Amino acid sequence: MARGLGFSNAILDSGTMTGTPAVPDDSDIALVKASQAGYRDAFGQLYQRYARMVHGILLAKVPVAEVEDLVHEVFLRALPRLHGLREASRFGAWLAAITRNMAKDYYRQPRVQLECNDDSASADGIAAPNQQAHTREVQEILDGVRSLPEAYRETLILRLVEGMTGPEIAAKTGLSHGSVRVNLNRGMQQLREKLGQRCVAASGGRKQEPRKID
Amino acid sequence: MAPDHQDRTRDDSYLWDGSGQPDPEIQRLELALERFRYSRPAPPLPAIQVPAQPLRWWSEIALNPWTPRFAATLLVVSAIGCGLWLEQSSRRPDVARHGWDVEVTSASQPSENGDAGVAKKSERLELGETLETNAATKASVAVAEIGRIEVEPMTRLRLLQSGTGRKRIALDRGTIHATIWAPPGQFVVDTPSAVAVDLGCMYTLHVDDSGSGILRTTLGWVGFHRDGRESFIPAGAACPTHVKSGPGTPYFEDASDAFRSALAQLDLPELNSASRNSALDLVLRQARERDAFTLWHLLPRVRTGERPSVYDRLAALVPPPPGVTRDGILRLDGRMLDSWWDAFDLGDIYLWRHWEQSWTGRPTSP
Repeated sequence: MARGLGFSNAILDSGTMTGTPAVPDDSDIALVKASQAGYRDAFGQLYQRYARMVHGILLAKVPVAEVEDLVHEVFLRALPRLHGLREASRFGAWLAAITRNMAKDYYRQPRVQLECNDDSASADGIAAPNQQAHTREVQEILDGVRSLPEAYRETLILRLVEGMTGPEIAAKTGLSHGSVRVNLNRGMQQLREKLGQRCVAASGGRKQEPRKID
Repeated sequence: MAPDHQDRTRDDSYLWDGSGQPDPEIQRLELALERFRYSRPAPPLPAIQVPAQPLRWWSEIALNPWTPRFAATLLVVSAIGCGLWLEQSSRRPDVARHGWDVEVTSASQPSENGDAGVAKKSERLELGETLETNAATKASVAVAEIGRIEVEPMTRLRLLQSGTGRKRIALDRGTIHATIWAPPGQFVVDTPSAVAVDLGCMYTLHVDDSGSGILRTTLGWVGFHRDGRESFIPAGAACPTHVKSGPGTPYFEDASDAFRSALAQLDLPELNSASRNSALDLVLRQARERDAFTLWHLLPRVRTGERPSVYDRLAALVPPPPGVTRDGILRLDGRMLDSWWDAFDLGDIYLWRHWEQSWTGRPTSP
């Protein structure tokens, strides 16, 4: 398998590979096959390419403060199972499924409830009032996205937070272009409604122009 | 197409891929949320363990000492589960759990000043029930939590399956506009001449009184199948279906009338040889690059002697990807056909194969 991809190193007797292979083909499929053959650096490249997808899926489901650590845990969970992945082209969808399971497991484990808000920016200490207001608004937007139905929430976070395009989301997660496009459109529509409602609620029921985030 | 559908499909190119006219509101959200974006480099990773001699999965299962105990436990749990399920089912009929909300809109009688109004009524469509609109009524059906169907006048549909997992309706006649946001394969529509399977999309399906019909995809793509005959319809394309022969050959709706008419002729099983040759010749001559998917559908449908000319024209429009050979395509190798389809970038055929397997229990080829 590795030979067909142009890797020159032989698999070590110990059954592990830690060196850097010559990678003439850096497609995801080639990287998955190289990783399955034991090339750690190939898996490192997959890590770089898919970390934003994993981060986005987790951000849609678990507290912000926990997300970064869980990203690494997802890859550590995927690593020993990689040889069981039979279709290298489905790596993204497979990794997305592991990520969603990781998020479910997060809520199954007993943990100490943190008193503080999971706003990552709240620990800034003494901030100017306008900065605090801005931080609060940003947190409200994120909360708005995170309160959407699951399919929209995940896709919209990948688009708005992680900066992935629709075609990129489809390619990485294994969803069809149509599903991603519908999720983005309907999610955005619901988000607009939610943010609009919050404007009304914040102004005591009076109608107000949509909030501007500068 | 209903106006509501048109609204939803208006220019979303900035949201979709960042192209087109930037949407200021989306730009503001991007700017506000980018602070949460992941930007850390990959940390050091442990070495990857490679199994020295990987076992096939059935060998692994067969050799595992826990397998007999696990199988016995599974059997007992399944038996208990089935018993409980049957008991519950007999006590509480499905209809109580799996109905869908329907809003029926009727044109009311004109008032004294001549204005015709509309009356709205909320209903519930339960499993096994039929929804029928007349010339003056339309309906909007909430498909559980996965989508919505707009039902045009003079339409009859039945709810066949709901609950968790797959949702299924039968469209006996009339027109529906479906918008589905569930994962591919969960929403299925039976018609008298073919079964439509949503693969993540928005589409319109019409069935006439004879049971034939046409499906038009607005977003995403739809699979159409019957008796092993399959059609995939991407956004912007349409596909007729016939009571006698099942799904026809799909085409992009901007193709010429002559092209579409020739395709319709080729779908007729009883067409004589001279007309058939003439229709195939016209299709091959007029096919544009984006019509490659139409020629791909023709490959298994044309006669053996006609297939090389379809292959040559298709290969000229979209070269076959590595691993796809002329010989393989001429003998209708399923993997090669699938691989060529994926080169059109119209949707991953893996999705279709996956869901098809889940219905039939065995893989099939085009």
